[in-house]
Amino acid sequence: MKKGKVPLEPHVRKQLEDLGSVELLVGIPSYNNADTIGHVVRAAAAGLAKYFPGRSAVIVNSDGGSSDGTAEVVAKAELSSPGAILVSHPVSTVQKIVTPYHGIPGKGSAFRTVFAIAEELQAKACAVVDSDLRSVTPEWFELLLGPIVAQDFDYVAPMYLRHKYDGTITNSIVYPLTRALYGREVRQPIGGEFGFSGRLAAHYLARPVWETDVARFGIDIWMTTTAIADGFKVCEGFLGAKIHDPKDPGADLAAMLVQVVSAVFDLMETYEDRWKEVQGAEDVPLFGFPHEVGLEPVRVNVGRMIGIFRQGVRDLGEVWAQALDEKTLAEVSALGTEEEDSFHFPDRLWVRVIYDYALAYRRRALPREQLLRALVPLYLGRTASFVSQNMDSGAEAVEGSIRALADEFVREKGYLCERWE
Amino acid sequence: MSEVFDEVIRTTLVEVGARFQDFVPNLLAMLVLLTVGILAAVAIRFTVGLLLRWLAFDRFSEQTGIRTVLQKGGIRAAPSRVLALTLAWLALAVFVLLAVAALDLTAAVDLVNKAFAYLPNLLVAGALFLLGTIVSGFVRRSVLIAAVNAGVPSARLLARGAQAALLVLFAAMALEHLGLGRQVILSSFTILFGGVVFALALAFGLAGRDIAKETLERMRSQRRPEDDSLKHL
Repeated sequence: MKKGKVPLEPHVRKQLEDLGSVELLVGIPSYNNADTIGHVVRAAAAGLAKYFPGRSAVIVNSDGGSSDGTAEVVAKAELSSPGAILVSHPVSTVQKIVTPYHGIPGKGSAFRTVFAIAEELQAKACAVVDSDLRSVTPEWFELLLGPIVAQDFDYVAPMYLRHKYDGTITNSIVYPLTRALYGREVRQPIGGEFGFSGRLAAHYLARPVWETDVARFGIDIWMTTTAIADGFKVCEGFLGAKIHDPKDPGADLAAMLVQVVSAVFDLMETYEDRWKEVQGAEDVPLFGFPHEVGLEPVRVNVGRMIGIFRQGVRDLGEVWAQALDEKTLAEVSALGTEEEDSFHFPDRLWVRVIYDYALAYRRRALPREQLLRALVPLYLGRTASFVSQNMDSGAEAVEGSIRALADEFVREKGYLCERWE
Repeated sequence: MSEVFDEVIRTTLVEVGARFQDFVPNLLAMLVLLTVGILAAVAIRFTVGLLLRWLAFDRFSEQTGIRTVLQKGGIRAAPSRVLALTLAWLALAVFVLLAVAALDLTAAVDLVNKAFAYLPNLLVAGALFLLGTIVSGFVRRSVLIAAVNAGVPSARLLARGAQAALLVLFAAMALEHLGLGRQVILSSFTILFGGVVFALALAFGLAGRDIAKETLERMRSQRRPEDDSLKHL
């Protein structure tokens, strides 16, 4: 469906007509988040009132058909709590729009409705935040919207403080690969919270992706990559620690890996003309004040991870042979015999694995889902090695080793480019 | 006596000669049809192969996953080559049947009629067998990957078991279509499948009781939430 064709409910259309236009918009996608969304809405309202007084603003809840009263919580949320904003002068009232989204069920479709409303209201700056956040504060909205309002940026990616072992798919695949491909240092490309300009929202809306997987999953990396690859001004905002509702403990790692990695690989095909030209990587401006906070400890079972990796070496050779280069496969297989104490998955080998996988994904060496599911033991092997290597390291040293991996991705990019054709 | 003998021989030879004269055109027709069939098969193989390559059928097969499906079934050749060869062999088979019919022998005509009547069953059975090979190969790989990711110790055995069960099922369906001992096949399959499941259950529950206990405990411990709290995203 193309620009301007996003279906909106009649009552939403009426609200948009009444509002006319706004300067700022905060979008909150939701699905059964009644427990947490009230806090997110109040934080957004307080942030808008405190940091952008006098500017017209609207909070849009784009809901996927919640059955736990999420929409009612948003509708009843009190938006004018003076204690939260500590200002004595009158501020503009923040408006609320609660709307179901239409189309393929997923976060992407929810965002599409937010983009459409932003375009209708000619919003100058927008932010989207998850509805299950427990650590969101009014300052987040200053950091997500401020660089767009005051500095004319188009896209603000979040920067969080995380435990040194958290976010391993981001740290070992998405961040270093995105950085090497598109040449911009965006540390959390799939963070979940973003700020973007009205013109970027219109650009997103016009892209022909809303009937594809982007509508279901992968919207985060799609937004980041599109903003960078299409030449919009990108920066980062330091949001501190991110704490959200615990996810389903039974959530399947393989499914997660398939969704994230396939989204990144699909974008490699879309933007192949762009990333092939890029060399090196540049930092982007960071807004906010980086500080230390206490983080919950993370338990990791390294032995189990290495066990699954070894089993992969034993049983998945025929599958990996379809994806990996002969030399890469030989090096991976040799790791299968290493002792747990000395187990080490080198950066360069991991980069080759990911690049080989990108190439195999492109040539459809196997059905894509099978191919990516077979990446799990390799990923667990790499993660186990990372955890063992950084067991006694501080946050700064761990960040340094992640940066070293990212640099390796840049150095090895020629390997990918040579074989891409 | 010798005159009578000569007469019999002469008559026999004349009759054989006459029959041979009548048969020669049929034989020639058969040879011509066989030759044409071979030439047609060769021509089809090359023409279809060229046409499919010109149409970038192999690339299309890669993009749509057809090539992967063939690979999963153990067919490594290019899809254009596979299709061209299949069509060539089909054409040759039709010409062979026509050639046999050209002999105009009652038995041959009967055979050809039966063959043509049986051909649909053969095609369906062949298609079922091919489908079974492809599907079972796909399932084997899926089970293998899922089992390895879950840390199941006998992943390969499990995957092969799933493949074998599917292959037997598709083979039984194919043979059913060929009408070969329907009841025997059905009964054999039921007994075999039931027997294998029963034997496995017995082996796992009795002989491998300790292994079963250990495996279940390991699976439970792997799922224990306090064991791992890593957030991957």
